[in-house]
Amino acid sequence: MATAEIPYQETAPLHHPKTWIGKYVFSQDHKVIAVQYGITAIAVGLVALFLSDLMRIQIAYPEFMDWFVEDYYYQAITMHGMIMVIYLLTAFLLGAFGNFTVPLMCGARDMVFPFVNMLSYWVYLISVIILLLGYIPGLGGPTGAGWTLYPPQTITEGTPGADWGIMTMLASLAVFIVAFTMGGLNYITTILQARTRGMSLMRMPLTVWGIFVATFLGLLAFPALFVSAIMMILDLKIGTSFFMPAIVSMGQTLAHDGGQPLLFQHLFWFFGHPEVYIVALPAFGVVSDLISVHARKNIFGYRLMVWALVFIGILSFIVWAHHMFVAGMHPYFGFFFATTTLIIAVPTAIKVYNWVLTLWKANIKLTVPMLYALSFVLTFIMGGITGLFLGNVIIDVPLSDTYFVVAHFHMVMGVSPILAIFGGIYHWYPKLTGRMLNDTIGKWHFWITFLGTYIIYFPMHYLGFIGVPRRYYENFDSSFYPASAQLLNEVITWTALFVGVAQLLYIGNLVHSYFYGKPAGDNPWGANSLEWCTPDTPPSHGNWGDKLPTVHRWAYDYSVPGSDKDFIPQTVPQGQSS
Amino acid sequence: MAEAAQTNQGPLTTIVDDWSSDVTTFKAVPWGKAMMWIFLLSDTFIFTSFLVSYMAVRMTQTDAWPYPSEVFSLEAFGTPVPLLLIAIMTFILITSSGTMAMAVNMGYRKRKVAVFWLMFATAMLGASFVGMQAFEWTKLITGEGVKAWQNPMGAPQFGSFFFMITGFHGLHVSAGVAYLLIVAIRVLRGKYDNTSFEIVEITGLYWHFVDLVWVFIFAFFYLW
Amino acid sequence: MAEVGQQHPIKVYFLVWGLLFVFSIASYMVDYFEFKEHLRWFLIVVFMLLKAGFIVAVFMHMKWERPTLITAILVPPLVLLVLMYLLAFEADYAWASRIVYFGGEVDPIPLPPPTHAAVPH
Ligand code: HEM
Ligand SMILES: [Cu+2]
Repeated sequence: MATAEIPYQETAPLHHPKTWIGKYVFSQDHKVIAVQYGITAIAVGLVALFLSDLMRIQIAYPEFMDWFVEDYYYQAITMHGMIMVIYLLTAFLLGAFGNFTVPLMCGARDMVFPFVNMLSYWVYLISVIILLLGYIPGLGGPTGAGWTLYPPQTITEGTPGADWGIMTMLASLAVFIVAFTMGGLNYITTILQARTRGMSLMRMPLTVWGIFVATFLGLLAFPALFVSAIMMILDLKIGTSFFMPAIVSMGQTLAHDGGQPLLFQHLFWFFGHPEVYIVALPAFGVVSDLISVHARKNIFGYRLMVWALVFIGILSFIVWAHHMFVAGMHPYFGFFFATTTLIIAVPTAIKVYNWVLTLWKANIKLTVPMLYALSFVLTFIMGGITGLFLGNVIIDVPLSDTYFVVAHFHMVMGVSPILAIFGGIYHWYPKLTGRMLNDTIGKWHFWITFLGTYIIYFPMHYLGFIGVPRRYYENFDSSFYPASAQLLNEVITWTALFVGVAQLLYIGNLVHSYFYGKPAGDNPWGANSLEWCTPDTPPSHGNWGDKLPTVHRWAYDYSVPGSDKDFIPQTVPQGQSS
Repeated sequence: MAEAAQTNQGPLTTIVDDWSSDVTTFKAVPWGKAMMWIFLLSDTFIFTSFLVSYMAVRMTQTDAWPYPSEVFSLEAFGTPVPLLLIAIMTFILITSSGTMAMAVNMGYRKRKVAVFWLMFATAMLGASFVGMQAFEWTKLITGEGVKAWQNPMGAPQFGSFFFMITGFHGLHVSAGVAYLLIVAIRVLRGKYDNTSFEIVEITGLYWHFVDLVWVFIFAFFYLW
Repeated sequence: MAEVGQQHPIKVYFLVWGLLFVFSIASYMVDYFEFKEHLRWFLIVVFMLLKAGFIVAVFMHMKWERPTLITAILVPPLVLLVLMYLLAFEADYAWASRIVYFGGEVDPIPLPPPTHAAVPH
């Protein structure tokens, strides 16, 4: 069918800055914005990593750090969780990968509204700064309510940061949502309205599909968090009672009455469950592409992969209350949410099968990105299976609030997306900088991280089964802990410290290779998708030189029988092979 | 062409065709308009979350919930007329929607001056809406003693939700007034002369959305 | 080439404008004549949806958009119905348990709306 009722719109006139500041600081170029997002996200991520190591030391050796009091522990756990989920994973996968890949892989010159896109980054930076303001000394520190921020405890006295810290947290979240919305609208509109000729949705690489669905989820899920943040701020500062019931705290009747604490949980998880898929779906996409490229074989069941993404996206809006089984609900609702939760496992499993089938009899190149992608699949299976346990109400109730849940979500949402990020960076770094990363360092980092995270999180399932509760500052006065628990905790802590420090390898690699890495050429992996067809490497502002590319095929023509090379880029017309 | 494509195929076919085509999915929809629609979709989720929260808290209230039609009544000719001010505000907002729709229409005829005045009128109606809201708030606060955190007539959440939801809506209206004025002036100055006037339609989408939200607030807050 | 923008006879706009007034007055009357219970709810919601529908369909030009845009915008909000239904259902339960556990101190039954005449002002 003919495509253009409107004249084909290449792009809004690109803004070509002259000054250094215009080019690299207040840049409207999606690639620069991607890098800014990426660096900021990694920087806060390191803060969160540091906090987690402090917590690990505390858990294994409660006596060791005298200064690390309860409040610090709770604050660390909260900040760690929130930073990792929102300010690192969401920001990196959508802000950095989204910005970098969407215009390049769709064949656009930039995002549709580059100025709004730039604002998105700066507002995100502001939200990060507000978040870190929680640590200003003398004001009581950040909130220690846990990343789920459940009222009433979050804002009642006795919880660390109950006046200042929670305020910075909520304000920062609200600002983050504004930033996300500005970016997200851009990604969606670019994908829907600004693809190049020949690029139909069903020819888009799965990375873009993952980012597309995830962004859509974000635009529909973040509002619930935004609203609950506003209501909580009002409860806190003005003394309304949206979430606060009549309550006696420390012997005093608080001035609240008639609020609904469970309402917060509903709103939070109405956001929170889609959020876990906001993180998972881009990772799915990236990994699908990595596997296909580095196994030199087309992705198995492309269409099914796309539909699985869409289906997961839809379902993720009707499963949220599986996080609230212990809060109590009508048995029919428990039944409903358990069922929908288990149904999500179907499309998820389809994806896993397809990854495996893609690998089947493929010409697997064990490059470093491939290693990360394979390890993603493994850890994801692990976490997905424990999710099935937790999706059943009667199994969830005893396991909820134990280390089993910690193991589940770290496997599925902590480690796996991080592995996908590592792999993705490794894969696209040559396009971004024109140089290869160092493989030796890469392999060391990979094995340490992969094996290390298994040593860290795998035993936590066991800890959960024997009843070790999550979020506790100090466990081992209790007599029912077997000695094995203490031993395991020490092992986990040592490994965590080691793996934590080993992340410097990756960062060092990024910096070192920027100056000394092997020149990469235009297409070092022999990949098909459009970003590898740019006339320049690194791609210049506007990406495509004079003429936009035209797409003739999907992105997965690898090892096509009868063609002279083992890949056929998307720009090659049908019937030709290079 | 779009018409032709629609007449000889069913909606389902059109949907499938559009989603499977290249370049654009929403045919004949400019970037800005697509983006505005998606933004409004996201905003719908914000307002619905507010309203659903209001429902949840109100339904669980054991304290008395004031009867809005009486709280918001206004003296006219010596008798209290229920919801008088709200009725006026509703009519103002509807009227402003009407002028906005006309502005969009004039925009596509490139009648710049008419567009300017219609948008200006819309903005003024919007501003008067906000003004009346301020009056209503004052009356409620000083006259009835309702604050966001207290309510002498019963459940404090009455005030909390009232101020929060109408306040958030009022912010939308105020932002819309600023947006309208900016676009109106740009239109007059000829900024869009060489392009289409779709920006007027986009502004209009936002403005009608604000009106739309008011329809729901009116029903659920004042009439429940 | 088809028209890019949305251009329609002005008559339609005036018609809808008028209709919106009519529906507003109608829903106002529902309150004024103090319809109660189910009938009240039914009428309020019907008029609300009619108004919303006309605004979206005509003023926001949804009626003339291609079904692709229409479905993309109108279908996703349906998930909100799940949230609404769940919260409404649980709210009754929360309310009941509040009555059971705090029953002594509060009015067990929300006050029926007083009539206007009885209101001292
Ligand atoms: C087969 C798929 C999955 C199922 C059946 C599942 C099920 C569950 C259930 C029932 C819980 C609640 C446990 C409790 O608190 O008692 C939970 C927690 C969690 N899940 Fe999953 N899950 C799945 C996939 C995922 C994915 C893909 C992610 C993220 C990428 C994820 C992230 C989380 C997180 C972060 C929590 C803990 C939240 C908290 O309480 O702090 N899950 N999961
Ligand atoms: Cu979940």
